[in-house]
Order: sequence, then C-alpha cells, then structure tokens
Amino acid sequence: MTVPYSEPTGKRGDLAAMTKWLVFLEQREGVVKQSSIDAWNRVQELAASRPDVAVSGLLAGPASLGHLEGSLAGKGVIAHAKDECFRLYNQERYLRLVADILNREGAGSLFFADTVLSRDLAPRLSVRLHASLLSGNPIFDDARAADDGGCRRPVYSGSFIASFAPRRPLGIYIIASRRTPSVDYPGARIAFVDLEACAVAGEALFPLVRRLAMHQGTLDVAEAGIIVAGGRGMGGPEDFALLEQLARLLGGAVGASRPVVDEGWRPHAEQIGQTGKTVAPSLYIACAVSGSLQHLAGMGSAGTVVAINRDPHAPIFDVADYGIVGDVHLVLPKLIEALQEFLKKG
Amino acid sequence: MRIAVCLCQVPDTASVIGFVEGAVDLSRVNEVMNPFDEYALEEAVRLKERFEGSEVTLFCVASSSAKEMLRKALAMGGDRAVLVSTAELSDPFQTAMLLSRAIAGFYAGALPDLVFCGKHSTDFQSAQVPLMLAELLGMASVSAIIKLQASAEGLQVEREIEGGIEYLDVHYPALFSVEKGLNVPRKTTIKGVMEARKKPIDLLPVTASERPFVEITGMEPLVTKKTCRFVTEPEELVRLLRHDRALF
Repeated sequence: MTVPYSEPTGKRGDLAAMTKWLVFLEQREGVVKQSSIDAWNRVQELAASRPDVAVSGLLAGPASLGHLEGSLAGKGVIAHAKDECFRLYNQERYLRLVADILNREGAGSLFFADTVLSRDLAPRLSVRLHASLLSGNPIFDDARAADDGGCRRPVYSGSFIASFAPRRPLGIYIIASRRTPSVDYPGARIAFVDLEACAVAGEALFPLVRRLAMHQGTLDVAEAGIIVAGGRGMGGPEDFALLEQLARLLGGAVGASRPVVDEGWRPHAEQIGQTGKTVAPSLYIACAVSGSLQHLAGMGSAGTVVAINRDPHAPIFDVADYGIVGDVHLVLPKLIEALQEFLKKG
Repeated sequence: MRIAVCLCQVPDTASVIGFVEGAVDLSRVNEVMNPFDEYALEEAVRLKERFEGSEVTLFCVASSSAKEMLRKALAMGGDRAVLVSTAELSDPFQTAMLLSRAIAGFYAGALPDLVFCGKHSTDFQSAQVPLMLAELLGMASVSAIIKLQASAEGLQVEREIEGGIEYLDVHYPALFSVEKGLNVPRKTTIKGVMEARKKPIDLLPVTASERPFVEITGMEPLVTKKTCRFVTEPEELVRLLRHDRALF
C-alpha cells in the first residue's frame, strides 16, 4: 500500500502581490462563538502593521449576524456558508468547505480559534493541503524577521516557551485563546456574502454528529473571562456552592484542580491543568488550590491571578498578583458579601 | 477485531527539566507513558475482551529506550508492539507519517478496524499526530472522545465540546483520540507483567524521508513568577480588582 501523500504540484500565488489571510469563524446553534470573534480581532491586530495583507473570513453554518454588529474589528469580507448542512459540525464537509474557500481566495495563511472543533479539523487539513500547522501566539511583527510567520507557546508544563517556524508555503494557525475586550469597533468595515448552497448536502459523511446537547445555563471554563477555581482544600463537593455563588456574581465559570475531579467532586469538563483544559481568563481566582506544576500548566496565561489559601507557602502565591492567607470557608463568604455590596453601589 | 494503539513517552510530571547551553536538557528526566495514551490503551483492551479473536497491537515512534514503557503497555493487555526506532526528533507530521507506514506495513496494506491514540501528549500538547495519522491512513476520525459504544455494525461516540456534548455515529474503520474520563485505566498485575515478557516487540528502524512541516527554532525557560501583594480584608481585594485592574 502506498501512503496517500505526495508533494503538491500546484503553483503558489505571486508572493510580491497582496498576501491573503483567511479566518475561520465557528458557530454553535446559530451563534458565532466569542473565541472566533476574538481570533478575528487578533488577526486584524496582526494585520494592522502589514499593509500587504488582506483579511477575509469564512463562517460555517447558519448564524444570526445581527449581534456581531460592532464586535468585529478591521475590514474584510466574510463568506457565509449558511446552508443547513453546515449547522452541525461535520469533519469531512467542513474540510472540503475550508479547502475550497482557501483555494478560491488564494490565501497563504489560515487562522482558527483554539477550540475542540479546530483541533479536530486543522490536523487533517494540514496533511490534505500540505500546510504547516502551528498553534500558540502567531508572530507577525516584521515581515523581514527570521521568525516571522512562526508561533510561540509554552511547552513542558509551562516550564519553557518554544518558538515554532513553518516549513511549508501555506500556514495554518490555531491561535491561543485570549479574550479581547468587548469594545465597539465603529470604524470597522465588514461585509458578509452568502455562499451558494452546499453541493454535497445529501451525502451522509461519517463521522456524523447525530445530536448536540448544550449544557443549560453554565459557562464553559474554556470560554469564561473570569474563572473561580477550587482545589482539594475546599473540603468536599458541597463546598463548591460558595464558588458557584462567586462565579455567578462575577459572570464567570467554576474550574477545578485535578484532585477535585479525580475525587468525583466536579466533572472533568471543569478540570484545569495538564490533563484538563488550558485557560486564559482575564481574572483567575484560585481557592484552596495549592498550585502544582500540572495545575499551573493550565492557567499560566491567565491575566490577573488571585490566590486564597491557608498555607502562606503554597506555590500558587508565586504566580498570584493578589493573595489572601486564610481559610476559604471564612474568606469566601466575606468576599461574596463585599462584592455584593460593591455591585449594589455600581 | 484488529485494534492498533499509538503510544508515546513524555517526561514524568515530577521530573525537573534542565536548561543547558541554550537547550532543553532531558538527561535527568524519567520518561513515562503519556497519560492520555493510558486511556487509549485501556479502551482497546476492553474491546479486545468483549470481541473474541481481537488483537491489540501497539505502535510507538521513539528511541529504543521506549521498550520499558512498551513492556508496561503489554502488561496492561497489548498483544504485541512495533517500535519505530528513530534517533532524530520529528515534527507531528513526520511522526504521523512514520506511524502510518508502520501500521500499513503491519496490516499488510489493509487497515485495522480501530486505531486509538491519546488526545495529546502532555509535554507539547500539539494534538496533531492522531488526526494527521487518520488523514494519512484515509480513516474516519473523531478527536477527544469521552464515551464509546461499539457493536459489530458500527460505533457511537461522545465528545465534549465547549459547553456541551456532541453525539456521533461512526463506521469502521475509525481512529479515535481519547480524552480523560473515557475510562479508568487498570493497574498492571504480576501475571500481566510476567506474560508481557514473552510478548514480541518488533523493532522497525526507519528515518523520516519527508521534510518536516514545522521546526522548533527556539526554546527558553519561561519565568511565570509574580510578586504577590497580600491583603487581609476581602473588601480591599474587591477595591483593588475593581480600581487597579478594572476587572468588573
């Protein structure tokens, strides 16, 4: 058997001319994901210093565009594949769509937000298109610099930061999540164009997403701007009610350390760390989390870190901006009360 | 059922990774089986126990020092192992390429019914090799599954997405990368360890003939230490977060 791989034969576009960047935008249940909006804005930020770059987008699946008003920066045309056949994620159908648009646009770089979907799609796309796949923070500061077009990200539990460089003409980037402030972009010029109906709609392409069940009323830790995380020192599953209350007040999500998940106090979906999720919220409140290297690996990119712990020597204080030494059961009710008081005053 | 499991080694989380003359020093590091690969292996062994006549073959791209890890995997229930021994570092594409060749060679051009991989390796967390491998083999694939139900006709799997769960239908042959929560891996038994000694580990010395897609051009220690400002009153903390940081 020959392994289906061959060097590409197609010609690349004229490199001296405009460089095109394509950003993939993801929707779930008709709502464009915040992480995709953040990725679009991040790419616009990178493109701002590059007059030779034109940014365009691809939105897969039917979605309401009204709420995007003012939330997308820069300028560009976003192709909207609004056919029903793209409503639920389908790996093969999405692969064909992205490859098709990338080809049509003649884009040299493709950007994704770091999501479960992009991690499912991008590696196959990389092989299919013979493209370099990089994840982390893209480097596009200076077109003449040797590391231009590369990516940087932490490796080995956040002990090191590695620089990766593409070795293929086409680059696929999975951008590390980073919440951009929800400001209005009044000067932005974004146009949407509808793509024609799906040519392969009738075909059943496996694996097939049969059904999608969203958890009601809870924010996913991977998408939360504020995270209130609990460690084993919380005591037991019932003690997380305090954290839920605090997270609700702040409009954030509850996270957990590995021992908490292994004890069965909280679901794995909330686990932060090496065998859980990697998060980058603007505020991370670590409650009775000691701060093992494995945990820090998952929250090293958080903005402001607050630690509450009984042990003044807990390693979590080494990565915290603010700390309170004390028992979470005594500190948290006071913190909740202080916050309620504060929010009342506005 | 013919089941392939891809395994890799990562530094034990307790190991201290050195930095000598501008490069990462792994000489004092204890290498272990990637934690996510343990879930992959466990799922494969459970299916083997359910479907009579099944065989679980382990595939690993590493230096020959991975033998010890493979013995442990054989003790957990693998039947035989293929070690693609390569001294050079390879990028995810090259690794996937080497695995695809080893798998295609082992099954004499046919495809195994199932391939299991860990969601990602805990050292680099690229999560690229499993689905690159699926594309190279031309197999259906689902990443990061948390539940699997197999029958003779097909498979139903679940995947956790941001804020929800996807339920998927898949046909054979298929490749899955697995997320924590899929199962609880078994411990090795003395009987298992004894049996593992007699199981074959085939060495397949190869080098990557394709150029890498991506290269590492630099590696620096990452200093994450901050200066913590200790406060005693929660009111003070709220004031600081609000005024100094404007976080809410």
